[in-house]
Amino acid sequence: MEASCLELALEGERLCKAGDCRAGVSFFEAAVQVGTEDLRTLSAIYSQLGNAYFYLHEYAKALEYHHHDLTLARTIGDLLGEAKASGNLGNTLKVLGNFEEAIVCCQRHLDISRELNDKVGEARALYNLGNVYHSKGKNVASAGTHDPGDLPDDVKNALQKAANYYEENLKIVTELGDRAAQGRAFGNLGNTHYLLGNFRSAVLAHEQRLLIAKEFGDRSAERRAYSNLGNAYIFLGEFETASEYYKRTLQLARQLKDRAVEAQACYSLGNTYTLLQDYEKAIDYHLKHLVIAQELNDKIGEGRACWSLGNAYTALGNHDQAIHFAERHLEISREVGDRSGELTARLNLSDLQMVLGLSYSTNNSMMSENHVGENSFNGTRPRVGRRHSMENMELMKLTPEKVQNWN
Amino acid sequence: SQPLAGHQAAELQSKVVPSKQILHSDNMEMEPETMETKSVTDYFSKLHMGSLVYSCTSKRKSK
Repeated sequence: MEASCLELALEGERLCKAGDCRAGVSFFEAAVQVGTEDLRTLSAIYSQLGNAYFYLHEYAKALEYHHHDLTLARTIGDLLGEAKASGNLGNTLKVLGNFEEAIVCCQRHLDISRELNDKVGEARALYNLGNVYHSKGKNVASAGTHDPGDLPDDVKNALQKAANYYEENLKIVTELGDRAAQGRAFGNLGNTHYLLGNFRSAVLAHEQRLLIAKEFGDRSAERRAYSNLGNAYIFLGEFETASEYYKRTLQLARQLKDRAVEAQACYSLGNTYTLLQDYEKAIDYHLKHLVIAQELNDKIGEGRACWSLGNAYTALGNHDQAIHFAERHLEISREVGDRSGELTARLNLSDLQMVLGLSYSTNNSMMSENHVGENSFNGTRPRVGRRHSMENMELMKLTPEKVQNWN
Repeated sequence: SQPLAGHQAAELQSKVVPSKQILHSDNMEMEPETMETKSVTDYFSKLHMGSLVYSCTSKRKSK
């Protein structure tokens, strides 16, 4: 009976290591069913079940098993086991958005690691704490529409704490000579600086991340670094440099055959060339983005592509194409229930109509419903929050005030 | 009326940071989480096999 539980658990371990977490889970669950009197073995099974569910994005289950593991580790007085369970529970609570409890758990991981003089554990707990504060800051920030650097105090405090934890982590992993851990800390530190508006520091951190990614031949990490460097250079106003980094992102995305990332890189390049006022190139990349968005049936991405294309064609004075894409943007915004996108599209269309004077009439029902839609917004400014699509980009609003200023 | 493009271009030129009129990328690429790992063989080896880590099956075979 005992051997059977172990055998099942070992097979679960083997499958998870081979990347088949789904099959691994069934073996671990079978092992739990068979049961064992060895509580340390049971703790290891719970822990691995928790991690497998975490990787499968089934966080409620992950939480359940990491909680079982924590209880068990405390029961048997296994301090190292308790530290590990606390860390895993903290990471899971973070993903579930329960930041306060996540902090308590990660802090426990840190305290025990220090008590045991476990430097590796201490460093990992510091990284996890950094991640929790980063997520907390980002979560509060996304409730409003802010540019990086333009943040309320509570967001800034959380992000500053994240940066401090990453720095502390870096000190230890540098001493330990753990380059992989340094790479991770630099990447997330760079993103924290980016959100704080410290774009030069962000660049420095991402350059380090890039160096380490190259050392390891880790092309996914290399691609991440290029993309993050592109983002930081945009906010430094160095659009040419940003475009170079986005091009490298695109190149790697194509090599890695990741269509969603490829689309995102095209989208970033489209925006960068808009900033460079090279609208032909902007259109070229936005069209590439549009094609992939359609291929992946990403309606939100398609709507954004249409909006961007409408703007770029407007900039070129090609009002026919501009109207075509603005109408398509309106259509898609309605389809996906994006109220602010709908309002933006209407404003764009009415603006284009003004530019064209009487040559463009409201020849379809879209414009005629204009006042109904606007009344429903009741005078509030459209606010566009974070939307989940493949490129996970933030739609910056076209404010009614700006539209008025145009004419 | 003045072409719309002129206004938009002026708006874009006027700022170092991306204009509110365009979609800017806010897609940060985060590093992966690190989870703490336990293995049944960790405890098993400590209990039964000394410092060497053998699988349950290899232990049984060696008996």
